Amino acid sequence: MTIEQSTQLADLDGLIWQDNGQCVLTGKALELYLRLDALFTQWAASCAAEAWKLPTFISARELARLDYFHSFPHLVTMPVTLACGDANLKLFTEGQPITQDGVLQLTELSPVKDVLTPATCYHFYIAHQGKSLAAPKYLTACGNCFRRETHYLPLQRQWNFNMREIVCIGSSDEVTRFLDSWKVRLQQFFADANLDVLFENATDPFFNPSRNPKYLMQKLDPVKNEMVFRNHLAIGSINFHRSYFGEAFAIMRDGEDACSGCVAFGMERWMYALLVTFGLSIPEFPKLKDEAQI
Amino acid sequence: MKTETDIKSQLREWISSASKKGGKVAISDDTPIIEQRIITSLQVMDLILYIEQLTDGSVDVESLKPGAFRDVNTIYKNFFEASNDN
Repeated sequence: MTIEQSTQLADLDGLIWQDNGQCVLTGKALELYLRLDALFTQWAASCAAEAWKLPTFISARELARLDYFHSFPHLVTMPVTLACGDANLKLFTEGQPITQDGVLQLTELSPVKDVLTPATCYHFYIAHQGKSLAAPKYLTACGNCFRRETHYLPLQRQWNFNMREIVCIGSSDEVTRFLDSWKVRLQQFFADANLDVLFENATDPFFNPSRNPKYLMQKLDPVKNEMVFRNHLAIGSINFHRSYFGEAFAIMRDGEDACSGCVAFGMERWMYALLVTFGLSIPEFPKLKDEAQI
Repeated sequence: MKTETDIKSQLREWISSASKKGGKVAISDDTPIIEQRIITSLQVMDLILYIEQLTDGSVDVESLKPGAFRDVNTIYKNFFEASNDN
């Protein structure tokens, strides 16, 4: 039996959905999550990607270098803290800290200088800024990501979700080869696994897109190729950033601004695609084509 | 009326002066200006305004297709050829 409705997903053993757009995983649901991440980790190891464990916060100053706050203000989530000082803390505690509707009544806030990570790979470019690479870098991490949305659905659209990425920073040729090889292998994987996933060009979800030159640029020069499950849900994407991050963070390769590209897997969305396709009897994953040669 | 040669020459000059790479890269009519990041997203809006100025018309941004600004030849074909044929 397959699981067709999101309401049924909420009944899945080990998936505890929270209305604020996040879920707890345990039992069968956690088993599937871990199985999937083991698969992606194995794929990343096959191209000798260096494994990283990333923090949850990311510097707002660094993200601003990507013009992130003009492009995606609707997605950003900020961690806030009360301003230090006994008077302010006293004001908070002696007032009504939270309303009956669950809204915190905040007093003065400390300056907000960080945001919750919106995409895993940003950390890599920030960490490599100012470096000149003697060889292409292959990196991987599974990041705890946050994107504010207007509504949420279990596994399909979450405020807090996990994104495994495999990234290449190198010359244009090196990154193109990396991304092309992943696309071929993933297409073969989807066919072998009987997963209804097709690649489609896409643009990032810019705020006020018609007025954003970056949106226009993505239309003119499609660099985002999504893995779309059953014509409606992007479960991952292959992205060629050209030298956008290399220029923003002064990363050099072969005397030029480095290029970069990433293969991104939305962990919860992959879970959804597998559960909808196979129910709880998910078969063994097929082997990735030419795994040792990536 | 301006000839094809005039228009392509004006486009090359504009791209060269607008680009951060302008002095370093030789721009011919088939140089891929976006692929090689000769023109970035910051300049592409200005390029559209420049095309509107040259054609004395407006460019429908929403209907632009991938590759429409690939190189000078493609820009000429997409935005100037029809009016110059008249």
